[in-house]
Amino acid sequence: MQILEVSGLKKTYAGRLGCHPVTALKNVNFSVEEGEYIAIMGESGSGKTTLLNILAALDHPTGGRVILDGRDLSEIKESAMAAFRRDNLGFVFQEFNLLDTFTLEDNIYLPLVLAGHLYRDMYQRLIPIAARLGITDILKKYPYEVSGGQKQRAAVARAMITKPKLILADEPTGALDSRASDELLRLFAEVNTLGQTILMVTHSVKAASTANRVLFIRDGEVFHQIYRGADSGEAFYQKISDTLILLATGGKQA
Amino acid sequence: MRAGYYPKLALEGIRKNRRMYLPYLFTCIAMVAMYYIISFLQDGGMTAALPLGSETVREMMRFGGNIMAFFSCIFLFYTNSFLIRRRKKEFGLYNILGMGKRNIARILFWESLFILLLSLSGGLLLGIILSKAAELGLFNLMGYQVSYRLSVSVSGVYMTALVFGVIFVLLFFNALRQVRFSSAMALLQSENAGEKPPKANWLLGFLGLALLGGAYYISATIEDPITALAAFFGAVLMVIAGTYLTMISGSVMFCRILQRRRKYYYRPEHFVSVASMKYRMKRNGAGLASICILATMVLVILSATTCLYFGGEDVLRTRYPREINFSMRAKYAKALSDEVLEPVWESIDTAARQQGASMEQQYRCRSAIITGLLQDGTVECDVTKVRNAVTFSDVVQFYFVPLADYNAITGAKESLASGEALICGSRAEEIGETLEFRNGSRFQVKGRAEEIFPEELVPEMTVVVADLETALEGLNALADFNGDAMLSFQWNVNFDTGLEKEEQMALSESLSALALPEDCTSVCRSREWERQDFYSLFGGLFYLGILLSIVFVFAAVLIIYYKQISEGYEDQARFEIMQNVGMTKREIRKSINSQLLTVFFLPLGLAALHLCFAFPIIRKLMLLFQLNNVRLYLLTTLLSVIAFALFYTLIYRVTSNAYYHIVSGAKEKRES
Repeated sequence: MQILEVSGLKKTYAGRLGCHPVTALKNVNFSVEEGEYIAIMGESGSGKTTLLNILAALDHPTGGRVILDGRDLSEIKESAMAAFRRDNLGFVFQEFNLLDTFTLEDNIYLPLVLAGHLYRDMYQRLIPIAARLGITDILKKYPYEVSGGQKQRAAVARAMITKPKLILADEPTGALDSRASDELLRLFAEVNTLGQTILMVTHSVKAASTANRVLFIRDGEVFHQIYRGADSGEAFYQKISDTLILLATGGKQA
Repeated sequence: MRAGYYPKLALEGIRKNRRMYLPYLFTCIAMVAMYYIISFLQDGGMTAALPLGSETVREMMRFGGNIMAFFSCIFLFYTNSFLIRRRKKEFGLYNILGMGKRNIARILFWESLFILLLSLSGGLLLGIILSKAAELGLFNLMGYQVSYRLSVSVSGVYMTALVFGVIFVLLFFNALRQVRFSSAMALLQSENAGEKPPKANWLLGFLGLALLGGAYYISATIEDPITALAAFFGAVLMVIAGTYLTMISGSVMFCRILQRRRKYYYRPEHFVSVASMKYRMKRNGAGLASICILATMVLVILSATTCLYFGGEDVLRTRYPREINFSMRAKYAKALSDEVLEPVWESIDTAARQQGASMEQQYRCRSAIITGLLQDGTVECDVTKVRNAVTFSDVVQFYFVPLADYNAITGAKESLASGEALICGSRAEEIGETLEFRNGSRFQVKGRAEEIFPEELVPEMTVVVADLETALEGLNALADFNGDAMLSFQWNVNFDTGLEKEEQMALSESLSALALPEDCTSVCRSREWERQDFYSLFGGLFYLGILLSIVFVFAAVLIIYYKQISEGYEDQARFEIMQNVGMTKREIRKSINSQLLTVFFLPLGLAALHLCFAFPIIRKLMLLFQLNNVRLYLLTTLLSVIAFALFYTLIYRVTSNAYYHIVSGAKEKRES
């Protein structure tokens, strides 16, 4: 089942007085099936972040459509948008975005509390997730008391606890050391095998190589995509870096 | 480096941080101006024009000036710490770019110098302009006319420059100390340091509550003015300490209790508010407590001084029911005999009639006075025991009055047998059927007398007896340390004159100079003289109250402003995260609003509570000034609270706008 469909997506930023408008996304088309784990790669300025912001409904496209689980994002009213985002999307950010005023547990509960859930219900949802992510022991701690990897795992738990249709991850390993990165990516893969759809924007070949499919964006368009298929992790890693070299040296679309 | 380099950097630094520096500068200017005005008013040359009470006013202004200097110092240190915290990052950058601590010190030096010069010149200018208005206001309150010539008090300028110069030198060294003891990285990150979750300190929290409760208890249960005066400053200190502890620890404690109640805490409308409140209180508990204390001070000062000022006429009437009040004292009983008093009365009468006094409402009262300890219904007059009295509240002055005088004054037709007495006074209830003195004298209490003496500070009791001589036989023998009799004898002659102010005062003066019988002393007061004396005291006090209130309000406003600004910068990031996680702008705004409201009106509410509990003790203190008008005090208190609350709300609107501006401004900047 198709969970996300992006077609003809365009985003132009109006220039200031005397400046030309800047086109961030020219024409982006792709779709995501339920249960997929997709990585989006591209150089700085290729439009990755803009794309993610639009998918997250934090920004409006200039043209084209985003259909999430059968609903056109542009048709959702502004007032209902926050609730829609809360119920259907989970977010993992590079800088964790945990509130320092809350314990990890309360940070994870935040979206559920906003949706009006009861504590008992939230707690029951949290137990299995926390166990899977290995953060059961540190739930009562505050963000400043734990390591970056632990913070990011708490952020993943926060993204998962609403049982979202899609988890959007923006450079999730960007602020982590290599061990914590590996651990997080292993968790992503694991969560994905349980049926969670994930869309991750990343710079890191290593991170991308854990995905099932990698989309490459250049100059506001999906330039290329490769599937993992039956490749091993290493072979897929090689494929991705080859493609990146091709991209960097200005090759034609495959 | 060129010589002009550091001053330029310093100026640039001030200009760049003007959102922080401008309010600081304004406060400095206002403080300087206020201090100048107060020292201007205490300058002898200015108040010498006052016919009466200029010394009182000067004394009071000197007192006010000292308070001002002390307060300015503490307060400027407090606000300066905000500035330094924000500037540290900049200094860290300079440090990394290769500037040594010495160079930073030079920038700091120039910065302090600029601020000092600006504040002094601005403040003195403002002060000189306003000082005339201040003088007019003061003289007006005291009921005098004044010339409209603008003058400058050189000693005032000198004092102001000296005081603020010293304060700024201290500030400079404090800033140096802070920069010296931190590394470049620490300087850079200082703004983000210390994000520890607040731990509620139960012990301190309960101690705070206990202190508050204790102070409230003292105020609510205090009985007499003298004890109130003794207890007042202790209670004030307890309230101050209690407020700080309660605000800092108690509020965190309270938030934690709320967090434990899951049904309450995990609701959309409470979740974010309670958690961020906990942080806010930890960081700003001290600021909130300061605001609360300042607000309480303003309210107490305003309500009490306005009440004293407007209750003045009341006080005069209670103390001096008649215009001329002559009293003669002697140490021997014979002084009250007709042979002695008759000639004195003759000369008073003659002098008064010569001035054209109408001699209405005549009041002539002989009395014998003894001081004793009233305990368990009996009176101890032994001098050693009286001197060593544990509580002042047991010391009572007994006025023995002959029945003839009592009947003449009140128009009553009482009759008493020897050994019988009529009594009255604040502690008359404690006396049973007999009024007994420890040395054996005892009186059968026949009933209650009317009050014929104005209320005094020391509790007094009037004892009307059939005849002084026989009544006092038992008490005559008592002597004090010098061997003089404990009893003293007094004759009061009071009457109305129907004369103009000046003539009244002239008459009073001539009566003071009257020839007296041997070994007698006398005083004569006119109500008019008292009125002038009174207004120079209470007008001055009222005036000082207003000046200090203005300063305290200024301080409170500035603390609020800095609090909002610094919280705004802190909340920028939080605001964004919440939006990312799926809170709508409206939800965030609502949550922020409720937090701001709570944090803002908490100090005001607590201040109002303080004021409620201060009411009984201050009412008692006013009895020291013989002011016993509860309704007036209630009215001035209410009016002060309303006026302050309105002003406070205005400040809230203005500063919360600044806050929203910062919080939402960052978001827009990022998006554009």
